[in-house]
Amino acid sequence: MTTYTHIDQTLLNSILDRLLPAIDELASAGQMNLSDEIVRLAAQQARFNALFTAAMNSFSERHPSFDSLDSEQQDDAIRSFEANNAELFDVLLSISYIVYYKDSRVHERIGWSGKSPQPDGNEMEPWDESVLENMRKREPFWRRTDV
Amino acid sequence: MTSNNGSTNETVDILVIGAGASGGAASAWLSEAGFKVKCLEQGYWQDPSKYASASADYEFEMMTNWAPDPNVRQRDEDYPVNDSASPVTPVMFNGVGGSTILWTAHTPRFHPSDFRVKSLDGVADDWPISYEELEEFYDLNDEVMGCSGINGDPANPPRSPRQMPPLPLGKDGKKLISGFEKLGWHWWPSDSYVNSQRYGEGRDACNFCGHNHMGCYQRAKSSTDLTYWPRALRNGAVIETGARVHRITTDDSGRATGADYIDSKGNEQHQSARAVIMAANGIGTPRLLLNSTNDAHPDGLANSSGLVGKNLMFHPFAMIAGTFPQKMKTWQGPLGNIAMSQEFYETDKNRGFVRGYTFQFQRSLGPAWIAKGGFRKPIPWGEGHHELLEKRLGSTMGMAVIGEDLPELHNTVDLDPELTDSDGIPAPRITYTLSKNSRDQLDHAIENAKKALEAAGASDIYVDPMMRQSGWHLMGTARMGNDPAGSVVDKWGQSHDVDNLFIVDGSVFVTGAAVNPTPTIQALALRTADYIVANRQDLKG
Repeated sequence: MTTYTHIDQTLLNSILDRLLPAIDELASAGQMNLSDEIVRLAAQQARFNALFTAAMNSFSERHPSFDSLDSEQQDDAIRSFEANNAELFDVLLSISYIVYYKDSRVHERIGWSGKSPQPDGNEMEPWDESVLENMRKREPFWRRTDV
Repeated sequence: MTSNNGSTNETVDILVIGAGASGGAASAWLSEAGFKVKCLEQGYWQDPSKYASASADYEFEMMTNWAPDPNVRQRDEDYPVNDSASPVTPVMFNGVGGSTILWTAHTPRFHPSDFRVKSLDGVADDWPISYEELEEFYDLNDEVMGCSGINGDPANPPRSPRQMPPLPLGKDGKKLISGFEKLGWHWWPSDSYVNSQRYGEGRDACNFCGHNHMGCYQRAKSSTDLTYWPRALRNGAVIETGARVHRITTDDSGRATGADYIDSKGNEQHQSARAVIMAANGIGTPRLLLNSTNDAHPDGLANSSGLVGKNLMFHPFAMIAGTFPQKMKTWQGPLGNIAMSQEFYETDKNRGFVRGYTFQFQRSLGPAWIAKGGFRKPIPWGEGHHELLEKRLGSTMGMAVIGEDLPELHNTVDLDPELTDSDGIPAPRITYTLSKNSRDQLDHAIENAKKALEAAGASDIYVDPMMRQSGWHLMGTARMGNDPAGSVVDKWGQSHDVDNLFIVDGSVFVTGAAVNPTPTIQALALRTADYIVANRQDLKG
């Protein structure tokens, strides 16, 4: 059994290419080389990092020749891992999505500001009481207990 | 935030275990009346300016270091919960403010009928108190916490003026509401403990960042570290953080004498007190009582009824989400503080079940959250991912169903025989099954939610028939009642067995109603504090 002491980032980028393929002018996630950021971010919590490392180790063990497979075979390999290792695959997919959607190149393509929620927040139209016109006409219908 | 020095262990009048929603309320009111109050809290103060919502990595933080599930968060101050025998995962936060740090602050009240389910519907038990007896404490709590909302809801009794106008509905909220309007079904702007304008000490208005469930950077969301605790500290109350209680101690006569705990440096300590108030939530409180066995209390403290840890209620949650054709920036505004519908709240036996449910309207968040599923399964990877993401981003909304869970003896909290926290204290173990009545409620709600979403113009509708990570509302595990053989505490929250032991968290609930419970928990805590002030001056040193 192979035990990895580090994440195989080449493998990770190959997986990312299939999870989040190229679209329009934007390269696939692996080609964007998101693996550095994934490895950095995963290490921010011990529990998550352990699961992520386990996911990568398990994937590598099951599919040692992943890089040599064609695209269709790679998709089959990922689907097989997803079906048989749901919890670990969820960890891998979650961190992939999080890092992909925090990338400024992706923000530009989907029109997302990319700001953290704070401190700027958002603007909303003020409360408008006229929306209650119909509900104000309704008779109280809560159940009385004093009758 | 500073707190008073809690390093001494001199006898205090009132020892409060837990600094969350109820512990904060009780501590503030008792200290205001001149009682010498000390609180032991296993977590720590939070600095709102460091909440993850201001971090570029907030999406990661939300599912790790700021996750609501303590088994996932795994901070030093958390304790694990064995939930393997439950379809619902309990969620909570340990720190000053407790779970109000991570709640959405959606704050409806119980209905009068919720206190009379036995008389009205022949199920469970009536509460030993009525809505009317609790009303003044609901009002008091609204004032301290600060409620945005508006009077006139036909589904609820009239109530005192709200402190602030409702939060804005937004285009997305109005869209969802249009479905209810078309069907002629009730909806009303949510009462929320989220500031729609400046209110309270140093607390800004909400700036609609959408992530108040991660802790509110703006201090716009009410949490007891910002409301009750500053008041309590000014009154002279003391709070010791990093203090992990493992046993309530008693004397030869069986009266409570204080608590044994492990301090933040790992040292064993004892805090003596004239009375003890448990405010550690519906799981933490029975855990500590069951761990406080001795010769006089072989089955745990305050447990002559055998009901400590029994009758655990969650609110079973279903989630129904849909996608609208319009882009509505659904990430703007608090996630779950739009409006609610109580069209199906009161019992109608023609529906095939008793009691009812609330729809709590829900927004959605940014692209990573949408991709990971949010309310639904993750968007599939590979070809087709990008198209679906773009379709759902900014146009996904949903409804959470909060159904009334009735108490059942076989739903329990007990001590796990093997699992412990990092100090070796036995962890709680949850055993829970969903009743047929609750399942029937949820199924009914799911069909109606689909109708409402479709009437509002949504498609791509997804149903989660019962959300696993939804155990925010921890209730019933030390219920109140008039009969000592059938309840743990009396109608004032005072233990039937130990006259200087009180419980003020959700453990004391007789039934759970079909609304978020925190205003009711806090109102009950204030009522118990009021009782102690009026009737238990003997507890003052």
